[in-house]
Amino acid sequence: MGDILAILRDFGPLLLIGQYPNGPLGGLAITLLLSVLGIALAFPLGVALALARISPFKWLYWPATAVVYVMRGLPLIMVIFWVYFFLPVLLGRPVSGFTTMLATLVVYQGAYLAEIVRAGIESLPKGQMEAARAVGLSYMQAMRKVILPQALYNMVPSMLSQFVSTIKETSLGYVISVNELTFAANQINSTLLSKPFQVFAILAGIYFILCFCLTQLARHLERRISRRRAGQAAGAPVPVLPIALATTE
Amino acid sequence: MSSVAPIIRFEAVDKWYAEYHALANINAEVAKGEVVVVCGPSGSGKSTLIRTVNRLEEIQKGRIYFEGQDIHAGSLELNKFRSHVGFVFQSFNLFPHLSVADNIMLAPTTVLKRSKADARDKAAQLLTRVGLASKIDAYPGQLSGGQQQRVAIARALAMDPPAMLFDEPTSALDPEMVGEVLQVMKSLARDGMTMICVTHEMNFAREVADRVWFMDEGRIVETGDPESFFSNPKTERARRFLSDLRSH
Repeated sequence: MGDILAILRDFGPLLLIGQYPNGPLGGLAITLLLSVLGIALAFPLGVALALARISPFKWLYWPATAVVYVMRGLPLIMVIFWVYFFLPVLLGRPVSGFTTMLATLVVYQGAYLAEIVRAGIESLPKGQMEAARAVGLSYMQAMRKVILPQALYNMVPSMLSQFVSTIKETSLGYVISVNELTFAANQINSTLLSKPFQVFAILAGIYFILCFCLTQLARHLERRISRRRAGQAAGAPVPVLPIALATTE
Repeated sequence: MSSVAPIIRFEAVDKWYAEYHALANINAEVAKGEVVVVCGPSGSGKSTLIRTVNRLEEIQKGRIYFEGQDIHAGSLELNKFRSHVGFVFQSFNLFPHLSVADNIMLAPTTVLKRSKADARDKAAQLLTRVGLASKIDAYPGQLSGGQQQRVAIARALAMDPPAMLFDEPTSALDPEMVGEVLQVMKSLARDGMTMICVTHEMNFAREVADRVWFMDEGRIVETGDPESFFSNPKTERARRFLSDLRSH
């Protein structure tokens, strides 16, 4: 235990922010930055892919479906290698490890988010789209104002879980020398040489605390949402999703 | 029937779901201000019929005219057209993430580009009309079924539709809430609204309908004024249907 505290005292800043401000930002800061940026950029991609996946137009459906299936059928590390070797060729200039990892996460998580969003859209009662179209909204207006706000709200817990996966996946940036948390821990281990157990216990602890808190948050939100769905108003046992009334007759 | 040009006209309409013949050679008209009640056994095509009027269901043969306009013409702006046809669903289909006001204001502000203030004034007026002025800022989940359906009617009215279609508007309601919804529909009828209502509420039909269309197996097999239809149906199928309905 004393060792762990000593390591935290000596290397805490390296784990948290890397060599910043004297050198590049690293450690937990980069892990979080990658995760947040990754999920934030993957989100619009996921929505776009989901919309293409439920589109009646074959020229939208097939490419999106191909992207989703290919990404879901490949190990992340392989995608990292593909981006690492092909993105510079494609762009004709060198690409940093951070950008490589970010691009990988966006495409990979985009495919997973697409399936979450699609499930969210398809789980809404059909009557929601019909009612929106019946008052004269176009398909895209109905999506934007009626379908997506409900679908995304219902999907918040799943998206948080996906965020947790993303945090863990950033550790694979290690293989292309992105100086994120795992990279920093390994640097410390190489410096100390004799305390791998303590160093990697700290690393595990940080990941666990972070992910555990987010998982708890997701569970809490999930309970709140299902309570809302079950009807929140005093005296009126009416489901938030009105279709339930018709089907429970 | 009146000599005024019909507001809705079906001309030899056929619809299939794959092999299933859902609508078979429908020829019918609804005049301006007329209230038509469509009844018939389940699966007879009643809902399908009214859903073809605003093209929630497409047809395979025939033509449908709304205010003289062929609703399948290439020049038709579908969204604008739909906004002129009020539609009320069996399961209300209010938008649960929007307040009552926003449910009603959504189409006027999005489709007609009315200002929020104007749309809200109109929403308040309509809510008063359906007896729910105090619920303007409530959410659908906080309302009873009957209240939700009245909001749904107000939402449809917000687009000033020349005709309203009701698809079993009271079938999903607890019995004690049926009356409040029918009350609103009756007052609409008295104000001269053109209406097609799919419903089994015989008293409603007797009181406000100008005509009843009885459907079976995708056809309109009998039409008539409600009094003679209910007391003296012409077809054997309608007699059987009515006696089933009364024995419940």
